[in-house]
Amino acid sequence: MMNINQACAVVAKLRPKDSLLVATMGAMFAFDRIELEAASGDASLRPPGRISSVPLMGGAAGLGLGLALAMPERAVVVVDGDASLMLELGGLVTVATARPEHFLHIVIRNGTQFSGLGNLVTVQPKLSFAGMAKEAGYVHTEVIDSAETWALRFPQILNNSGPTFVELNVEQLPLRTAPGFELPEMPDLQFSRMSQELAALQNWLGTRS
Amino acid sequence: MSSVNLQEFSIPASACLEAMARNRVDHVVTVPDWVQLALHQKIEAGVPGVRLVPCCSENQVITVAAGLTLGGKRPLLMMQNQGLYNCMNTLRAVCLDAQVPLVFMVGQFGREYSNLGKPSTDSRRTMVRILEPLLKVINVPFLSLDSEKNLYRMDEAFALAHAQRTAVVLVVSAPMAWR
Repeated sequence: MMNINQACAVVAKLRPKDSLLVATMGAMFAFDRIELEAASGDASLRPPGRISSVPLMGGAAGLGLGLALAMPERAVVVVDGDASLMLELGGLVTVATARPEHFLHIVIRNGTQFSGLGNLVTVQPKLSFAGMAKEAGYVHTEVIDSAETWALRFPQILNNSGPTFVELNVEQLPLRTAPGFELPEMPDLQFSRMSQELAALQNWLGTRS
Repeated sequence: MSSVNLQEFSIPASACLEAMARNRVDHVVTVPDWVQLALHQKIEAGVPGVRLVPCCSENQVITVAAGLTLGGKRPLLMMQNQGLYNCMNTLRAVCLDAQVPLVFMVGQFGREYSNLGKPSTDSRRTMVRILEPLLKVINVPFLSLDSEKNLYRMDEAFALAHAQRTAVVLVVSAPMAWR
């Protein structure tokens, strides 16, 4: 099984430069780390085209769908979390009904909520997300367990005429909490970054009114 | 029985389509609304230049419309009052925190005909009564569509939403007319 950094590194490294990437919380932090490292710590050199659905669990697929309908020539990659997807499971039907062609919907399945902090068990221990996506009407669906297979398949999957859904089985993060642990205060950035990222995306796309 | 003349308050769906065209609406993103049923039927039958995007929840209506807006489109969101109550957190995230300008048409489902022409806050039904106070509390501007002559407010709503980078709600008071 792969870890979340491996899962997201494949996307960060191999997605087309003009593609659009929408991520939820756990993936968002992984992309932050991966992109910053690739830019040698210079945040201004991060690649454009990524936005986060934060703090908004369940919103990533909808944001990605809207972008895909507005800009059908661009690849749109959504990196969802399993608990986030459960909040808007009907979104699978919404996406499949709209049938965006260059739309790749990835779910990071680690079976936990508040990964690394609480590792609370999500409410879907036996459901197949890929199976539900297929039933909803996604054109291609698959389940991938290893980082090697994922790196091999990602460029091929991007060439699909979609929508496409990929369920990535990912390791849980090790639990960091213990007696005496104190949760850090949420930084302001958590509440302002969506606004900043959306504005930056519109400036990049030339669509800001 | 109410003695209210419903025709006085019913907006013709065709007039609403004209207002949408004037405002360059290119997508309607929706969970359907009983109050706006006549308009839904016309859109579902096909309107040149307007793509209908049906969603499974009002949260998706907002996020899909936000994505469309980021991509340079002009969506109109349609839902009913209880749908708006359902998507408060998404509205908070997308329109208040992330400042995506969106225009909603929200039907006052359940409004007594005897309440038409009076403040909706006088309604005996919670569903109807709390809509405008709720929007005031969360600082979302709203404009009433009480009759056909109010449709110029759609133009105001788009202008206001984009000028202030926020949500603006057009409150549809009475069932739309099938003409």
